[in-house]
This record gives sequence, structure tokens and C-alpha cells, in this order.
Amino acid sequence: MQKIISAIVEDIGKVLLGKEHQVKLALACLLARGHLLIEDLPGMGKTTLAHALGRVLGLSHKRVQFTSDMLPADIIGISIFERETGQFRFHEGPVFSQLLLADEINRSSPKTQSALLEAMEERQVSVDGETRPLPEPFFVIATQNPLQQSGTFVLPESQLDRFLMRISLGYPTREAERALFNGVDPRAQLAQITPRINSEGLRKLQGLVHQVKASDSLLDYLERLVQHTRQSAECGVGLSPRGALALLHAARAWALIHNRGHILPEDLQAVLPAVAGHRLQTDGGDGAQLVERMMHQVDIIAA
Amino acid sequence: MSEVSGQFRTLLPRESLLWVFAAQFVVLLPHFAHLPSWLIFAWFLAVLWRIEVFRGRRAVPGRAIKLLAVSLAVAGLALTYRRWFALEPMVALLAVSFTLKNIELLSRRDAVLSLMLAYFLAATLFVFEQTIPYALYGVLCLVVITAALVAQQGSGSARIGRALGLSVKILAQAVPVMLILFVVMPRLGPLWAVPNNTSAASTGISDSMSPGDFSRLSKSDKPALRISFDGSVPPPEQRYWRGLVYTHFDGRRWSEPGVTGNRWFGRRFRNTQSGQENDGRLPAVGPRYRYQVIQEASHNPWLFALAISDSDTRGVRSTGDDTLVYHMPVGSRLAYDVRSWPRESVTAGPGLSPAEERRHLQLPEEGNPQARAWAEARRREGMDSQAISQSLLALYNRSFTYTLKPPALGADTVDEFMFDTQQGFCEHFANSYVFTMRAAGVPARVVAGYQGGEWVEQEEYLLVRQYDAHAWAEIWLPERGWVRVDPTAAVAPERIRDGLQSAVTEEFMQDALLPLHKFNILNRLRLQWDMINYRWYQTVVSFDADRQQGLLKRWLGEISPLRMAMLLGVPVAVGLLGLLVWLNLSARGPALPPASRAYLRFCQRMARAGLPRRSGEAPGDFARRIERELPALGPMAARITVAYERAAYTDSKGALKQLRRLVRGFWPLRQLAKLGAAPAPHQSVGQ
Repeated sequence: MQKIISAIVEDIGKVLLGKEHQVKLALACLLARGHLLIEDLPGMGKTTLAHALGRVLGLSHKRVQFTSDMLPADIIGISIFERETGQFRFHEGPVFSQLLLADEINRSSPKTQSALLEAMEERQVSVDGETRPLPEPFFVIATQNPLQQSGTFVLPESQLDRFLMRISLGYPTREAERALFNGVDPRAQLAQITPRINSEGLRKLQGLVHQVKASDSLLDYLERLVQHTRQSAECGVGLSPRGALALLHAARAWALIHNRGHILPEDLQAVLPAVAGHRLQTDGGDGAQLVERMMHQVDIIAA
Repeated sequence: MSEVSGQFRTLLPRESLLWVFAAQFVVLLPHFAHLPSWLIFAWFLAVLWRIEVFRGRRAVPGRAIKLLAVSLAVAGLALTYRRWFALEPMVALLAVSFTLKNIELLSRRDAVLSLMLAYFLAATLFVFEQTIPYALYGVLCLVVITAALVAQQGSGSARIGRALGLSVKILAQAVPVMLILFVVMPRLGPLWAVPNNTSAASTGISDSMSPGDFSRLSKSDKPALRISFDGSVPPPEQRYWRGLVYTHFDGRRWSEPGVTGNRWFGRRFRNTQSGQENDGRLPAVGPRYRYQVIQEASHNPWLFALAISDSDTRGVRSTGDDTLVYHMPVGSRLAYDVRSWPRESVTAGPGLSPAEERRHLQLPEEGNPQARAWAEARRREGMDSQAISQSLLALYNRSFTYTLKPPALGADTVDEFMFDTQQGFCEHFANSYVFTMRAAGVPARVVAGYQGGEWVEQEEYLLVRQYDAHAWAEIWLPERGWVRVDPTAAVAPERIRDGLQSAVTEEFMQDALLPLHKFNILNRLRLQWDMINYRWYQTVVSFDADRQQGLLKRWLGEISPLRMAMLLGVPVAVGLLGLLVWLNLSARGPALPPASRAYLRFCQRMARAGLPRRSGEAPGDFARRIERELPALGPMAARITVAYERAAYTDSKGALKQLRRLVRGFWPLRQLAKLGAAPAPHQSVGQ
């Protein structure tokens, strides 16, 4: 199993140079059955990451570019009357895929956003009184552009909470960029990627995540971290129980990726900025910085 | 203006205002008795005005009105008191400032100021009274004022139950501090003397004696003296508490020239502190009786003691008449220690000087011819002083009656009493006895004081009441000096032995509104109450610098700064240490799991080796940092870290044992020294 995971990470690493940590986070997010929000500038490789993930995991993936005039039906699908059969037939929207890349999610109206977010949470859609389950696994990678926010609908906190992680890719390292200049074509690499695993295997991996052990000592640490967010004057609003659970699941997935049957504090610390950063509300400051400070303030061993 | 008053409403809500007024009322209530009535009226007026302001019916008084109020109040004080630097006008001034503050009681700050003033005014209560009921009332004042302060905090703190509850809690917490301060706080003398109130009517024995004075006193059961003995106790017939000597008779009144109101004439008193004169007169051997007298306020300077007394208490002097006198009128309870030598144990002095003899033989030019004639006749029969005295006492014994209600006497009081009515009270007997003896040429004088007393609570102390007031006589016998003669004893010996009540059972306290003295149980209760009061006075009120020193000496052995510091510091230190331990224990939460304890020990040792684990640093990260910065320790640290991670995060028992073993053998300093590895430059350890 471990071989598969390292192969997956390696394969994506070939396409997305020098972003091993982010790739692992994205994978962990997927293994923990969560959705991923990538906040970054255009051209940083958001779409590449999504494509690479979809290919290497053998998932059916679709991409939707969100615009302000988009309607919920454009995502979920619509029932159309077919003359031949004399019946309404449901045309599935892009949401009926295993991996959905929702580009610039903040460009669409709240109505459309919430339709997608609802589907993300429920893993099913209801159209014309009929409930249709979404494919399994179902994984959404949404991107949003932190700049040029004019004319956009910023995701409210409650919607942000639906994403297990929020990451940003950041600029590539010097070596990675040089390699890029030297003609390593990501698109060509992407085409070479073959699926390493099928849906069945992926489901198995997701099941393994639940078996990763979280000892009392670790849960103590987690509890203290969560309590800190709730008591510290810096945080406007602390982590919700869902946020705390998300943290635990993400840490489990991270531990699994690193071939461990148990969570270590490092695992928790590794996923903490991605999981907690967008959930903590701060007065103007950056949630990531807050998380960074928090990791220094809360010791691993209670004293 | 309505807008302004609206603003005020937000500044001081209704509850705060009412609490302030309640506190003021509680504090002022006992002062109402002696404050001028216009001031009380002014207070009510100010409160009313402030309430009207609150209800928006009236404006906050302007500058002109305030100025007018201040001038009126000051003028009122000046008119009422005339003297500024006395106690009462000062208290009244405080009350005035209280009153005037009410009309500008606008912000929270004003309210707090007013309440602080209230604390101060509550304390002035004890200048006037120090009895238990007043002390209890003082506590009540504290509770109410503190509750009013609590109520100023807003947000529901003004609810009566909550404010009072918190107030009581705060004050209860202050009790230990109060007790400590009570014991150790240095008793400073007053920085300046505020004259006591001298206009108060003097009570008890006055500076003159005319028929009827003592029967008036016999109607009062107020306590006069409380006497506790240290050692032997004089028998009942010896308990003559001498207060005052009268030598001058004007035909009706006995008085002492020079004893005017407050000042005792200076010519005849000796200062006991000087001591030398004393040594000649009083024997060097120990006094027969040692006792402490606690005298109620009498507003007279004379004190009460057995014959020939001496006192070391400050401000107490002996006079040439063997009485004790205080340097100022006794305006509040006074305690003084007395040593007494009975007359027979003291060798008589050199005899009376001619001036003294003249003074003690003085009689008016005329009046009372029958008594004079009786005395002449005895003299002519060749009797000596003692024999004349004997025959006079025998006369009393034969045909006189002791009564509280003697018939009224005309101009010649002695004659009428001796040969006509033959009924009288102690002053009649003393009066006629001394007159007759003087007429017979024997130097004599009237002595006024108290006689007897009632034991309280297994003879803990003797309670002398006003109705124990008594007058008796002293005559001068050349061979024995002054000798006490009590003509009353010749008529009614039970008065001397058992007290007034048994001597005149029917007449005793007849005019009292409620004849409470007839109920035994009530008498016992009254004595109990008196005893409680006595103990209160003994332990609390009279706890002065001397007694403080005594107590501290008993506790500490000697009073040195070091020991004082220890007495204060040790309980404080113990208390703080206890608090520290408690805080530590309560903050620690549940005990650490064993794996974490072992790992923390590893971290400590690493810290000693110069590489402490950072807060929030994961064990794995720490191990990698050790590997980087102290490569010599790297492998060992890595093994310990792996063991810890397995022990703590997989709950492996074997790993825990391994971790303990590894940590036990992990001595980074020794290892570094053995390997000769140069420590990182920032380390100071190991060099």
C-alpha cells in the first residue's frame, strides 16, 4: 500500500515540480474524504495539480469555470423533456464526476456556490424531488483568486468550513523553475501519467485512514490546541467540533501517507495550517500566522 | 436641562443612588442624637433634591445655589458650636460635607467619594461610644457601605441580596487581616488633642454635697466602677472607694474649695511619678491590695480608690487628701491600676499643720446651736476625741432610722436631723457627724465615694453602681492620723455589709419605671450583660500600647524588629506558600502520563547540555535539530525519540520500558565530555 502512495506522490511530483508538501496535503485531504480549496494566483499550477491527481488516481474528472451568470443547474444538471420517449430525462451536470475542479469559485453568485457546497456536504443532489447520489469517491478541488476581489462573492465562513483544507501552492523553487525553463513540459508529463490505483483501491485507502491510531497523549494535544483557539484573545472564533474532527482526520491521513499506524504530533502540526487556517477568524490578521503562533504557544506535552 | 439630567441618569442609575442614600442614612442615624437638628433636616432636603433631579423635575443646583448652601451650612455650624476645634463640630463638619455632596452626586466618582466619607463617619462613631451595641452597629455600617460600593459596579450588582452577600463575603475575608492588624498595629498616641465635650452633664458624685444628693444617686443603677483584683480582696466592710473629700461647710453644703469643675487646684497634689515624696510616706513593703478600676465616664476629674492609694497609670496623681485625681475630666471610660495600703499599715504622718487643722475645723459662724451645744457638753465632760465619737455613734444607734426618704430639712440641717427628725440617708449622718465632731474640736472631714459593690461571675470583678454612692467621715486622731468613721454603719450595718438593697428593701429603687431589680433572673441577666461588656472593654477597647506590648512579649519573648518581622512575615509567607502550592496543584491538571514524564526528563537533560526543546516543537523535529547541532548526541536522541513516540502515541508498553531505560542512561553532558565534542558556541554549559 505504501508503495502505491509514494508512487502517486512521485508521479504528481514530476508534473508539479518541488511541491511535495502541497501534493501530500492534497492527497491527505482526498484520503480523509475532504474537499480542497486552493487559494492562489493564476498560473501557479492549480489546475495541473487537479488534473494530475485525477489521472494518477484514475478518477473521472471535470472542470467548471465559475462565472457570475452561472446557475445551479449549470453545475448540478437539468431535466429535459425528450420528445422520443415523451419523458423528462435528467442530464447530469459536471458535479457528477469523481473529481470536480471548480475554478474561481468566488466568481459565481452565492446561489450557485451554495448549490455546489451543498452537494459537497451531502454527497448527493436532489433535482425534481429525486435524490441522486454522486459518484464515489467524490472530491472537489475549488480554486479562488485572492486578488482582484472586485465583483466576486467571497465565500462566507460557513462555506469555507465545508473545505477540509485550504492550501496555496506558492511560487516554485529556483530548481523547479529552472527545470521548467529547460523544457520539462508539464503537459507532456501529465499525458504520461497512468492511474496507479482504481476507485476500489482508493476506497480501501480511505478506509485505512480510519484505522490510524490516535493515542490519549495525542488527543490531549489536539484538545489543548482546540482549547487554545477558543480561549486565546487572538482568535475571534475558535475551532468548532467539526473543525477539530477535520484536524484529526487530516492528521490520520497524513500519518498514513507517511506510513505510520499512529498519529504523531508532527502530523497534527503538518496539517494544522491547512486545516485550521481558514476556519479561524482573526481581526484582519492572517489565519496562517495565527496558527503558526499557536503551534509555538501550545506545547506538545502538557506542563 | 432635561437632556443633561438624562445624561446624569446614565451616570448614576437609580439603584446606585438609593444605595448611597441608604449607606448615608445608616451611618448618620446614631449621630442624629448629637448633631444639630437643622443638619438632619438639611440632609433630608439634599436627598430629596437629588431624587427630584433624578426624576427630572428639578435642575441640578447651579453654582450660586451651591455657594449659598455651603455658606448657610458653615454659618449654621459656627452658630451652633462657636468652638471649632472640638470633636463634635468636627464630626458635624463631616456630616455637612456629606450632606452637601448629595446635591452634586452626579458621577460614579462622586458616589464612591461619598461612600468613602461614609466609612470615615462610621469610624467617628467610636469616638463617642465604644460599647458592644455600637461596635455591632459599626459592623452593620461597614456591611451597608461596602454593599453600596459593590452596587456601584452596575450590571445587576445592585440587587440587595447580591450586594449584601458580596459585601459580607468581602468583609469576612478581611477578618483575619483585621485581627492581625489589631494585635500588631502600633498604637500611636493622638497626634493632636481634640478637646472632649465638656458640656455634658457630670454624673455620679459631684463636687459638693447637700442633703438629698445621695438619695438621688441611689435611684440610679448605672454602673460606676468595675474593679478587678490582683491577689487579695478586701472584706465587704472595708470596701470604701474614696473619691472626694469635703472640708468646707457653709451651713448647708459641703464642698471642697478649689475643686471647680475640671481643675483641681495645683497646690496640694503630688505627682506620683516623681516618687521621692512617696517613698517617705508609703511603706516600701508591697501594697496590700492591687487592683484595676475601670471607671465609667463621669465628666469629673476625681477617681476612686481605697484609702492611701498610689497609681502608675499615666495622668493619675494622688492628692494630699489621699485621693486620686485624673489630669482631665473623665470623658470616657478610664482604666487605672491602683495599689493600696490600708491606713493601719502606714505610719501616721507628722501631724496636721496649723493651716490644715484650721481647714478641718472650719464651721460657719452660726447655725445649728443644739449640735454645737451637744459637742460642748461632751467636751466639758472631759471626753477625748475617740470617746466623743463613740457617744455620737451610740446616739445614732439608739434612736436613728436609715431611710431613703428622709423628711425635708430646714435651715439648721444638723440640728433638725439630730434632735428632730432623726431619719436620714448616709449624707445626713456624715453631715451631722462631721459637724458635731468639728464643733467638739476634732478635725474631721466628709468623704464621698462608693461603698461596697457586687461580685460578677465568680468574683471576676466587683461591679459598683451609682446607688452604691456613699458619704462617710474621717476624723483626725493625733496618735493614729486620719481614721475612717462611718456613722451610717452605726445605724444600718447591713448597708455596709450587704449593700443598699438589703438595708432598705422596700424603698430601694421604688421610683424606677419598671421594678426590674425584683426579678432574680433579670438581675442575673443584667450582671451577665455587664460581664460581657466588661470583658469587651478589657480585651478590645482598653487594648492599648502597654497591653499590646505585654501580649507581644508573651508571644515573642522579647520584642525585637527581627521577631516582629517573623511574627508578621511567617504567617504571610506560609499563606503565600500554601497559595502557591495550591495554584500549582490546581493548574497542573491531571498527572502526566509516564512516557511524557520520561521524555520531559530527557528534554531537561538536553536543556542542561545547552539545547532546550522549544515550546511546541515536535519530538521528531527536536531529534532532527539535535542531530544537526549536537551530532554526537544525535543517534541516542533519535532512539529516545522513537521510543517516546511509540510509547506515547501507540501506547506500547515495551516502548515505555525502553524509553525509561534509555533516558536513565542518557547523560548528554558526560557523553559530550567523553567524546570531547566541542559544544555549540552559544552554550555556556560544560566549560
